[in-house]
Amino acid sequence: MRTLVIQLARFGDLVQTKRLLRSLIAGGGEVHLCLDRSLAELARLLYPEAVLHPVCAHGTGLGKLPPQEQAAALLAANIPAFRQLSALDFGRVYNLNFSPLNFRMAALFDPDCVRGHVWRSGQEEVGQWARLAMRWSSMRRLGLNIADFWAWHLPRPMPAEDVNPAAQGRGGGLGVVMAGRESRRSLPPRELAALTTALLETWPELAGKPVTLFGTAGEAKAAHQLVRELPAKHAGAVRNLCGGTDWATLAAETGGLDLLLTPDTGTMHLAAALGVPVMATFLSSAWCTETGPYGQGHRVLQAVTDCLPCLESQPCDFGVACLRPFAQGLLTRYLATGAAKHLPEGLIDFASGTDGLGVSYDARAGEDTSAGARARFRTFLARHLCAGGAWQDEPVREFAERLYAERDWLVPDAESSALRLGVSAL
Amino acid sequence: MRVLVVLPLYGGSLPVGRYCAGALRELGHQVEVFEAPDFYDSYRALKSLKVTSDRLQYLENSYLQVVGQAILAKVETFEPDLVLAMAQAPLSIQALKRLKRDGVPTAMWFVEDYRLFTYWQAYAQHYDFFAVIQKDEFLAQLQQLGVEKSLYLPLAAHPEVHKRLELLSAERRKFGSDVSFMGAGYPNRRMAFRDLVRFDFKIWGTDWDGDAILAPYVQMDGARVSSEDCVRIFNATKVNINLHSSIQARELVTGGDFVNPRTFEVAACGAFQLVDRRGLMAELFVTDGPEAELAVFDDMAELPGRIEHFLAHPEERVAMAKRGQARVLAEHTYAARMRTLLDFIATRKPGWPKPRVSAAASQGLPPELATEIDALLERLGLPADTGFEDLVWAVRSQQGKLGGLDAAVLFLDEWRKLYVRKG
Repeated sequence: MRTLVIQLARFGDLVQTKRLLRSLIAGGGEVHLCLDRSLAELARLLYPEAVLHPVCAHGTGLGKLPPQEQAAALLAANIPAFRQLSALDFGRVYNLNFSPLNFRMAALFDPDCVRGHVWRSGQEEVGQWARLAMRWSSMRRLGLNIADFWAWHLPRPMPAEDVNPAAQGRGGGLGVVMAGRESRRSLPPRELAALTTALLETWPELAGKPVTLFGTAGEAKAAHQLVRELPAKHAGAVRNLCGGTDWATLAAETGGLDLLLTPDTGTMHLAAALGVPVMATFLSSAWCTETGPYGQGHRVLQAVTDCLPCLESQPCDFGVACLRPFAQGLLTRYLATGAAKHLPEGLIDFASGTDGLGVSYDARAGEDTSAGARARFRTFLARHLCAGGAWQDEPVREFAERLYAERDWLVPDAESSALRLGVSAL
Repeated sequence: MRVLVVLPLYGGSLPVGRYCAGALRELGHQVEVFEAPDFYDSYRALKSLKVTSDRLQYLENSYLQVVGQAILAKVETFEPDLVLAMAQAPLSIQALKRLKRDGVPTAMWFVEDYRLFTYWQAYAQHYDFFAVIQKDEFLAQLQQLGVEKSLYLPLAAHPEVHKRLELLSAERRKFGSDVSFMGAGYPNRRMAFRDLVRFDFKIWGTDWDGDAILAPYVQMDGARVSSEDCVRIFNATKVNINLHSSIQARELVTGGDFVNPRTFEVAACGAFQLVDRRGLMAELFVTDGPEAELAVFDDMAELPGRIEHFLAHPEERVAMAKRGQARVLAEHTYAARMRTLLDFIATRKPGWPKPRVSAAASQGLPPELATEIDALLERLGLPADTGFEDLVWAVRSQQGKLGGLDAAVLFLDEWRKLYVRKG
């Protein structure tokens, strides 16, 4: 069967589509991927088997043009691509993003073939699986990794542990990502320098090896500040690649590291996809159960102050309290000793693993008050997906009552558990 | 301009609403139709619940609130310059207040007899404009209610539907007769038509059951007749009887005021009719003298004689029908009515409709893209100077799979909303 995945979001999202795409590729058939043209080169590296359909979806680059030139550029880029897509007879289209652009693009296809975000004669429709996800998105500390959410559009995606290579250092030293797209999620240079120093001085495998800085050209100044904050002996080992990498270089450089220290970024997902160990710092709006590094053997220092996870679009009334645990000297001690008692309050050190549903995170240190609820939530989802969640265990009524709506069940839905699996209740 | 036509859940104003939508499109306006009939089955299903009446009322009200919300959502998305509701459209007072608050002009065309459908007393003042098919007393009533912007807007025909047909001989046999009547079996008609059974007579339409004398003449077991078949019947019949309805049987020809749609529809077909005289008829048609456009009767006693006369003089029928048809096509089409309504609103609402600042969709594009957009406009039946937003709506209104250009236009629209308008 010829299948299309429409992924119009950003760098990190493209990498996180890996479980879905790899499952489709492993299943045979022709796999096509529609994405923003700026990511085509990266997609060729990650998914060489997929037929790419780059379109102009992102605002970057066109923003400064006068309106009619924007229109001309967008139409000139997209009309041929859309026509090509329209002419191909896709048996199934996975339209992943809840975005008006995705809905419009779905208009190219028979709505009965589209999963996720559908366009039916002018009406936007969201499939049952995506509707369910919208409801659980309010329970962010529980969550399901977005890579798994996308993969579970399939009745049986590949096992989570087979998606990315197990994390293992490659000898190239420490990589440090300066910032993500959302600045409040990233550590300021001083805190980042302290954490970098702690890792360099306490992790034997990093000793004497280079420190490589990653980021855009816009983050070059922050990189210089970081270097100034580092002790001289480490500052001399820094290679600053901010603004100096194309996709191939970024993949090659990231793929050779021993460890990547990063906030929630596309580079983090790339490192995880390449099997490079990640030490991630998640604060503010970032929550590892939603977008943590995929695969086994990664770590996330997750801020857990009561106000989290927040919306970055809204101002913080708490003086970015979630940043404070990262600024404490105790964190250095924790990284050196690994003793739970040294982990600053307000942090959990999560280790990634996998289960029947996907990637999971278990606390190595710190108080994980959501662990019980998260386990029950995963049972609920596994049962919903007919993917385990042993029925002899206790019921998870609180999630069924909260997450199921009548309309999910009263009318036929192509994304219902039964129809996904091609079976009927009768 | 953009007009949202809100149809009723069911009933006689339903086809009129569809004709209005067609006419507005004919006039070059962007029209969306709220298909309330699609909601009617669910509404009816509530009645089969066998629950207490207060519970049923609660459910029905709740359901209608939902339908009202659906109309508001449609308004929010379509951003019409006018919401045109047909009589019995499911727009609640709450929804109308919301539209008023949001500055969305509303109009109702109340194509009913105000004496029979009295709910207008609660609703009329919530519409900005209230069009009616009766005059004098009704307009005065509205005035007293504080409805300042009301107008008389008689019914009409839609020539796209109501037209001369070349019928096959089988169709002539099925639908044709010397004399026929097409309509519901109201009491005055049941009584009146007993005198017509001596003709080659056919009765079409619903609500004729229980009448032993007329039963042999009722066609298709009294099933509902489609608009298309109505036109076939009008075309195939030598003398179409048009007797305005009345719920009382004592006075068979009531001499009421408004002129029914059938008058205009039969005439638009170039078919011949004998119609009872109405108070407002003379200003719409010539009814007497050598240039008469309609053949009328004033009481049942004269009707058989008139029928005999016109059956014996086909040339008179043809000539009168032609004059009637010409008059309807010239003055009494739904397009003409819609023009009148829009002109009325425009004169009473300065600055309406607000101009939309939208350059022609193809403006500023390189020639090859402009050509593509122009071709798309033509395919969609839109004028070449159509603005981008109107083009987007027309593309969106298409059914089924879209082509690459169409989808690219929708995509561009959303892309602009994301990346251009914010800044």
